[in-house]
This record gives sequence, C-alpha cells and structure tokens, in this order.
Amino acid sequence: MEFIQKKTADHAAEYFLPKAADKGTKLAWDRFEGQLPECGFCESGLSCRDCLQGPCISNPFRDANKMGVCGKDKDVLAAQSLLRLVLKGTMATLDQVSDFAEGVASGAVKSKDKAAAKKIVAQIEALLKDGGAALKGAFPKGLLASWEKAGIVPQGVAKDLFKASQKTEGGIAGVDEILSWAFKAALLGAFARKLQGALKQAVFGASAEEFEVNMGVLKGDAPTILLYGRFSPVLKVKIAEAAAKKKVAVMGVCTDPLLGPYAFAPVASYGSQELPLMTGAVDLIVVGDQFVNPSLVAIAEENKVVVVPTETLQGQDPEAFAKAIVDKAAAAFSFRRSRLRDIPEAKETALMGLSASGLAVKKIADALSKKKIKGIALIAGTNNVKFTQDLPFVTLAQEFLKNDILCLCEGDAGVSLAKYGFLNPAQTGKHCSKAVAELLKAAGKKLPAVIDLGLAENGGVTEFLLALSAAAKKPLGELPILACFAEANRSAEAGEALGLVAMGVSTFFWPCLPVTGGPKTLEALSKICKTKFGAAMVVHTDKKMEPLAKAGMILNVFNRVPDPSLKDHPWTDWKK
Amino acid sequence: MVDKEKCTGCHQCELWCGTEIASTSKDLARAIQETPQPVPRVYVEGKPFALQCRHCEEAPCLDACPNGTMRRDPETGLVYVNEPTCIACWMCVMVCPFGIINPSSSLKVAVKCDRCKNMGYPICAEVCPTGALSLVERKDYRKKKF
Repeated sequence: MEFIQKKTADHAAEYFLPKAADKGTKLAWDRFEGQLPECGFCESGLSCRDCLQGPCISNPFRDANKMGVCGKDKDVLAAQSLLRLVLKGTMATLDQVSDFAEGVASGAVKSKDKAAAKKIVAQIEALLKDGGAALKGAFPKGLLASWEKAGIVPQGVAKDLFKASQKTEGGIAGVDEILSWAFKAALLGAFARKLQGALKQAVFGASAEEFEVNMGVLKGDAPTILLYGRFSPVLKVKIAEAAAKKKVAVMGVCTDPLLGPYAFAPVASYGSQELPLMTGAVDLIVVGDQFVNPSLVAIAEENKVVVVPTETLQGQDPEAFAKAIVDKAAAAFSFRRSRLRDIPEAKETALMGLSASGLAVKKIADALSKKKIKGIALIAGTNNVKFTQDLPFVTLAQEFLKNDILCLCEGDAGVSLAKYGFLNPAQTGKHCSKAVAELLKAAGKKLPAVIDLGLAENGGVTEFLLALSAAAKKPLGELPILACFAEANRSAEAGEALGLVAMGVSTFFWPCLPVTGGPKTLEALSKICKTKFGAAMVVHTDKKMEPLAKAGMILNVFNRVPDPSLKDHPWTDWKK
Repeated sequence: MVDKEKCTGCHQCELWCGTEIASTSKDLARAIQETPQPVPRVYVEGKPFALQCRHCEEAPCLDACPNGTMRRDPETGLVYVNEPTCIACWMCVMVCPFGIINPSSSLKVAVKCDRCKNMGYPICAEVCPTGALSLVERKDYRKKKF
C-alpha cells in the first residue's frame, strides 16, 4: 500500500535516504510501507492472544464474532490492550532500574554519595519484591490521598504487576477495574523512574552538560563505538573508561547521554537509528534491548560494523568485557581503514540533562501565577515512523515558544529537538517570545529555548513537576501544564503518560492508544482521569492531522478557547 | 477474485469495507461507535474464505428484484443496489447462490458489494495483507495456476 509523507525533517538523515534506496538497503520507513494497512483490530485494541483458544477479535461490524471465545467484549478487550501496554512499559523501566541497582550493589562503580546509593539500592530491592514503602515519602500527600481514594497506590512489583497481569488472564473485572490496574502499574513505573534518577545522582552526581549532537559528531580519524539503547550504566562507564585510555570515541543512540564525568553524544534519534551505520564512521556498536531495532544487525553486516550485544555480559566482569569491546573497536578501525567515512556536516550544540535542583523553579512558578507565561508544555516521546521524523516535536516547540509557553522536554524528544538548535543556549532568542526568553534568563544560567530534563527513565520530569507544584503551592492539576507525546512509540511512554495524568497533568498522546475500539472504555478512561485526577488523557484518532493543527489544538487549550474536537477538555475553567 | 490458499481469515477486508464503504464517518475509531452498525459487503466464512459479490453474468438477483432496484451498470457490468427504491422484500437475499447479499434490518435495504465502483479499486483487495483478494479479469483468473 502506498504511503505518501515526508520521511524525516532531519537533513542529515535525508542525505542517506537516496543512498539507501540505491543500495537496496531497507530502512524503517520502507518496512512500515510494507506493513500497510496495519491490522485495524490490533490498532483499536480489539484483538486478543491471551490464551491458546484464540487468537480472537471483536468484529465491530458483525454480530457473530463480537466477543472472544472466553466472552471478552470490545470494551474489555480495549481496556486490556491498554493494560498490557502499560504493564510492558513498566517492566521495561523496572528492568533498567534492577540492572542499575545490581551493578551498584556489586561495587563495580564507586558512588559519589555512598550512603545515599546504599539506601536507594535497598529501596529498589524492596520495590522489586513486595514493598514500596519508600513511595509514601516520594510523592506529596495530596497526590497520595487522591491515589489512595482511587485505590491505585503502588505497593511493589508482587502486589501490582503480578496482580495486574492476571486481569488479562481471566475473571470478570470490568472496564473501570482494569483501567485502575493500568494506572496502578503506571504509577509503579513513575516511582521506579524516580528511584533510578535518585540513584544516578547518588552514584554519578548531577550532570547537565553541553555537547554536540547529530551525525556530524562522528569522527573520521578515530575508532568509534556507538552505544545503542538502554543498558547497564555500569557497563557504559566501564566502556568509557577503557575507551578514554585508548583514544576511542564513544557515542550513543537512544541511550542516556550523560553519565558523569562521561558524555555520550547522541548521534541520531530513534527514527533514524540505522543511518549512522551507513556513514562508515562507526566501527563497533554495543546494543542493549530497549529502543534497539533488530534491523541493525543486517545493516551493520552490510557496512562491516562489529555488533556486540550486552547480553554476553552475563557472568562476565564488566571491566574485562569493556576492555575487550574497546580492543575490538580499535582492531575494527584498522581493519576498516580503507572504507569511506561519509560524515554529513550536521551537528548542533545542546545543553541536556537539566534538573529541578539546577533551575530557579520558584521563578517559573511565579511567572505562572503572575500570568507572565500562558503555561508549560512538556514535549515527550520517541520518533514514530507514522509521522515525519522530528516534525511534530519541532512544530510544537516552535509554536509554543512563540506563544508564551515554556517548553520542557525529556529523553529522545530532547535529542530530536537538539538537532534543530532548540537546546542550544546560543539560539535561545531565535526561538522564544519575549516573555519566555525573560523567564529563561531568570530561571537559570544560559538556558536554551527548551529545557531538557534528561532521560525519561531518570524521572527528571516528575521531580521538576513536583518541585514546581510545591513552589506554586498548588496541586499540579490546577497549574496550566500539558504533556504532549507528539510522536510516541514505546510502551513505557504509554505508562508514563498515564502516570502524568494520575499526577494531574493533562496529556495529549499520538498515535492513538489501542483503546479506540471500546467506546465504553474511552468513556471510562476520560471519567477516571477527570473525576479522580482532575486531568484529561486526550487520545486523538485523526491519523492525518498535521503537526501545525495539533499545535493549534493544544494552543487552544492553553488559551482557554473551546475546541469542538476536544470534548474532554483538560481544564474546566475555559469559560471563565 | 479470491485465492483460497492465501486467505488467512484475518477479517481485515470486513473491517475496512465496513469502515470505508458502509460507515458514514469513514474513520475506524468513529465507525465502531456508529448506530446503526455499519454492514460490510464482504464476509469471511468457514474455511476461511472471503466472500463478496461475483457480479454474475446471469445474476439471479437481477431477475428476482420486483421493482428494478437491483441494477447492472451498463459501462462496467457491475451489479449494484439502488438503495432509495429498495422495498426490503429480501428476494435478492433468498436467490443469491453465494449468500453475499445481506438484509440491513435497521435501514431496510439490501446491502451488497458494488466492487467499490466509485473508488476505482476495491478496498478489500487494497487492504488484504496476503494478497488473497485481487482484482483480475475473469479470463485471466481462469488461466491462473494456483
């Protein structure tokens, strides 16, 4: 099926598209086109593979197969599809947290603050078993009270994830109950992210740093290792240590770029992760699981790049493993000397990894209460091939900054924005309106137009939002803050979005979540969000909506202009 | 035409026919919520096998229709229902040898495939993930080896 849409807004990525076509290399965009049309049942959350009597679907247009063999109807199927997504996302977060805690507990890295690290590792261990007691201190009382009332206070993996996963196994749980379990699992993820952020700070220290991003940072004259995806920070640090001794460059794709004192410059964002291999300037890649496209193996082979999976770490000493990786990279470099290194001249300076402690949060809260700015938008998510790569992020940031809205970003969305100079402190004036520029000047030293709060899994956003709520002395639901997952992709992002809604932050999410097949589920979801958290989860189904139209729709919410396409408006005081 | 070896019974043709042809919103998420429920013109049955109108050269439905509601397009030869004149007598439903004409009880009209005559290419063939449904000339289909 034909699909006509500009593939990417990134010129460096665009440079390689005709080259890939000439060579016959299939990229994510080509594979997406091959998948079209995507299964409508799965897209709407109307399919089920939970038992072996199936697979079942709920056919919206025929009565014979409206229900699965076990009797799940379309609403239950849709609610369970969302729950399944959130469970997977929370497990992805927990996997990272447990890896990190294990690495720290083994003593492989020296912690900056040993006592704090030990305490957090104990908390993580408790969370992974059956107790999330530390949670009570991590969130403000108001939020905890509303979660308690809704029955969704997380209590640890055993009591949350195991039980929640059983809702897809059977039973007569209704839509409301299933959705509540999804929120519970999402909050467990939010708590885990907070712990991971705290542990990172205790072990590596706070680290906002300025560096360059995009493919132009690749080196033509030195062995280069690319770290792909999320994996143990302990191994990453060991690789960086070993590489520094041998003058091997280490960069990253979809991995935490900041691990004090080391920085791994992001070479690409998720959507174009295959392209750095085509430059010829990458000698070896170390790949984790999350965020890594399996297609990398074939493209690496085509370009004679060595691939080292982190799985092989099992049972190995990370230090020895890191040394072996660096040696392999050096050997690969000399072996690949004859290959052309075709590095596009595209790089941009970016200040990433800011945190609430490094910002004058009080001044931001004041600006909100004095209405100097209209609100705060959190731009989050990862590239999704359904949209022109980076274009939704860039359009939203551009439109918001012009219209007196302070923008925050996190994770891969940050990398995408960095490529276009939104995180370059020297370009602040170019993107922002006067009000935002003034606020940025007051809120910190040399801040870029968009404030990057670090990797999503480090909970920087939660920390900032809670600090802001404390400074403004108002619950988050009463502050004009919106989260925009402009091009979401990972299951963890669905979980994160639900967690933000539970904190009272209304959230826009694209592409639409697999709940649209159940009208009652959609209704229940919006009712829970509204009555229990005072926020809205906007699941928009229009696939062809232009980024500018999306920005306009969200701006309408900030400007309190009623929009007929938004029946579930985030704020009730529109008419005031 | 349907290649029965390739049909996996995924029901995508039904789903998208129901959305693109039968619904008023033409958007899956909204079509699901429509009342009356959209009635797709293609069915996946039994083996699995996707069934839609064969547009027979000697169509019994044309003969059975008492008031000329069932018509053949002189240009394309496609058989279609002129919905405004349908009296819901269901004669066509009874005589169709393939059982592909469906009574729409809520709208009181007979519903059948018109091979997307206004779209240029049938949606069921467009969305079929395995290529089991395809639009080929009858004489070519007979020559095709499966």
